[in-house]
Amino acid sequence: MKGMTPIVKVVARIIGGFIFIYGCYIVLYGHLSPGGGFAGGAIIAAGLILARLAFGTTASQERSTLISSSIFESTGGLLFLLVGLLGLFVGGYFFINLFPSFGTPGRLVSAGSIPFSNIAIGIKVAAAILSIFVVLASTKYIFKE
Amino acid sequence: MIILVASLILFLVGLYAIITKRNMIKVAVGFSLMEYSVNFLFAIVGFRPGALPPILQAVEVGKVYSDPLPQALVLTAIVIGLGVTAFMLSLILRLYNRIGSFDLEEIQRLKG
Repeated sequence: MKGMTPIVKVVARIIGGFIFIYGCYIVLYGHLSPGGGFAGGAIIAAGLILARLAFGTTASQERSTLISSSIFESTGGLLFLLVGLLGLFVGGYFFINLFPSFGTPGRLVSAGSIPFSNIAIGIKVAAAILSIFVVLASTKYIFKE
Repeated sequence: MIILVASLILFLVGLYAIITKRNMIKVAVGFSLMEYSVNFLFAIVGFRPGALPPILQAVEVGKVYSDPLPQALVLTAIVIGLGVTAFMLSLILRLYNRIGSFDLEEIQRLKG
């Protein structure tokens, strides 16, 4: 993909980091406010896609992004499974609350194992949407091989 | 009532795009519009005026919360819609790489 004009590059350089931080906020506060893993992961992926569209990529970057995003996607899925299986081994039920009385309700450190599930889903969704975009946008390179 | 009519109008706009347009990208946009109209209807049905988000900080009696069930349903529908849209676009790209056009009429000449 070719990059875009300097106007788009400057604006993307300013707001790209803020979009990423906002996505992390939505993921981390998913148990307290509207949002959560999927919405935050989609926002993070939007920031990454904005950077790719604005600055452009080469064929080798597309290939390495596909590999690294599939690694992150598998990591997110396995983390989510790990939270569920830890509940099975510790408490006897799948997805049982690992820390039932940890932290105060309504604060950031609370809600047991829900934030860990949110973080896992956020990683998985961000990597999955980014890899969908890369595959759709760089079919030229992939079909050539 | 006006919400039902607005959702129906959005649905019909998507249906019009699917039936009449020959560009495959426009057909995909029509599919997405129909999907969004249904999501809109479900999300609005759970709305109540002056209601709080359905997140319980503590048990508070006498406050009005909006219905969380349609929101969970719509979130699932959005995820499924993302997958369906990505699959549709990938099929369109395969066809574009083979016949070099987004026109639906061009596909009918293919065999098998």
